[in-house]
Amino acid sequence: MAGFLSLLRRIYLSLYNWTVFFGWLQVFYLAVKTLRESGHEQVYNAVERPLQFAQTAALLEIIHGLVGLVRSPISATLPQISSRLYLTWGILWSFPQTQGHVLVTSLVISWSITEIIRYSFFGMKEVLGFAPSWLLWLRYSTFLLLYPTGITSEVGLIYVALPYIKASEKYCIRMPNKWNFSFDYFYMAIVALATYVPGSPHMYIYMLGQRKKALSKSKKE
Amino acid sequence: MKVTVVSRSGKEVIKGGIDLGDSATVADLQEAIHRRTRKFYPSRQRLTLPIQPGSKERPVVLNFKKSLKDYCDGNLDYLTVVFKDLGSQVSYRTLFFWEYLGPLVLYPIFYYFPVYQYFGYKGERIIHPVQTYALYYWCFHYFKRILETFFVHRFSHATSPLSNVFRNCAYYWSFGSYIAYCVNHPLYTPVSYHQMKIGFGFGLLCQISNFYCHILLRNLRKPDGNGGYQIPRGFLFNIVTCANYTTEIYQLLGFNIATQTVAGYSFLAVATIIMTNWALAKHRRLKKIFDGKDGRPKYPRRWVILPPFL
Repeated sequence: MAGFLSLLRRIYLSLYNWTVFFGWLQVFYLAVKTLRESGHEQVYNAVERPLQFAQTAALLEIIHGLVGLVRSPISATLPQISSRLYLTWGILWSFPQTQGHVLVTSLVISWSITEIIRYSFFGMKEVLGFAPSWLLWLRYSTFLLLYPTGITSEVGLIYVALPYIKASEKYCIRMPNKWNFSFDYFYMAIVALATYVPGSPHMYIYMLGQRKKALSKSKKE
Repeated sequence: MKVTVVSRSGKEVIKGGIDLGDSATVADLQEAIHRRTRKFYPSRQRLTLPIQPGSKERPVVLNFKKSLKDYCDGNLDYLTVVFKDLGSQVSYRTLFFWEYLGPLVLYPIFYYFPVYQYFGYKGERIIHPVQTYALYYWCFHYFKRILETFFVHRFSHATSPLSNVFRNCAYYWSFGSYIAYCVNHPLYTPVSYHQMKIGFGFGLLCQISNFYCHILLRNLRKPDGNGGYQIPRGFLFNIVTCANYTTEIYQLLGFNIATQTVAGYSFLAVATIIMTNWALAKHRRLKKIFDGKDGRPKYPRRWVILPPFL
């Protein structure tokens, strides 16, 4: 029974990782194609659906962690997924005025390359039982460039969206109300920007440590 | 006897070890370590007996009152202890004082001073009766807590790590400010007069019960700062292990019934989760100590913290 469940888990995770891999592959392909054919203003329109699908599917990874299907601690995946979903739905989808900005291109290209590598890495591990060393190297090296480009794009797009957030009053709850509660999406965005200040170096340093661990371990094997 | 002091990685912390008389206590050892290392005063030291590598058992912590002899297994000439630095320590009184001072001082600022104009709300502010009562209730609560810290509580540990000061103060001060902001807001919507009366009345009853619980807990421990654990008895403790937490949660519930804010209820939710964790640990510890063997009484069947749920 245990063997059967473990096989089921492997099949499920293989399907999950490769499906999302193809989603991100699509995002990358469409982004580059549109960039060359129509310019950066059209990139968002071309990638919107596969981007939303692939990024939102990552919610499943939180559940995988919670039920113990995978070993990753949710404390690491939760901030990452939150910021991605915030950008995808809370900024880009909610405020169309940001969609034509050139930072959208750098954002989706940074994200898609990172995710293509990550999902194929996990996909191979589930299907083959291991991942080739060149893929391991890619997974722990491309972040050196893609984290800065991705983070800059994220921060930049939130900043670009600020005047539109303030003007539209979208997602704001005003007082007076029965529950004496108020929520201002604009100030939340400011707080989000502020969290990037300690958050980004922390994540980068964490990845540097992971890189050292992963690449030295593979050398020993 | 000669005591070898090593770190958890096996390295010698005190070169050459420490020589003490055969009747020396753990406290004497701690003093000696402090003299040799200057930096590590006794409350920073955590001394344990070494455990076999791979053993899953929790290491035995040395009690400062006992003789070193009690920890020697046969050989009275040599003893090895494992040392861990707990980091800078502050007394629990200091920790609690600073935690509670924030809410006590910050809340009235939102009530008495025209802070809301800086948030964009100009003009006159009408103060509802419930806001005034909430101020008295809230400030009384934290004033009571500070008094209990200095005159009622007897702590099982003398100190707490310094980092807890920042963490705990952030928690109390942030939530305190947030609740104060919402309740004293110019656009605050009061609940009905009856709901307010019920909320504050119930809350006050619970605060008084809470105070009585603290008195009962205090009388379980001797004044010489021994700490230790006894089976709590009397009043609500006969049915709930952590009646003090129970009354604390319900008094905050009373406040929220009277003031009705999302901020207040979220504070209640977080506080309940934290206290429930503490209550589970305490209940487990008491059941483990009072297992009914060796002449010890058996811990009676009781609710942990929130009858009828847990």
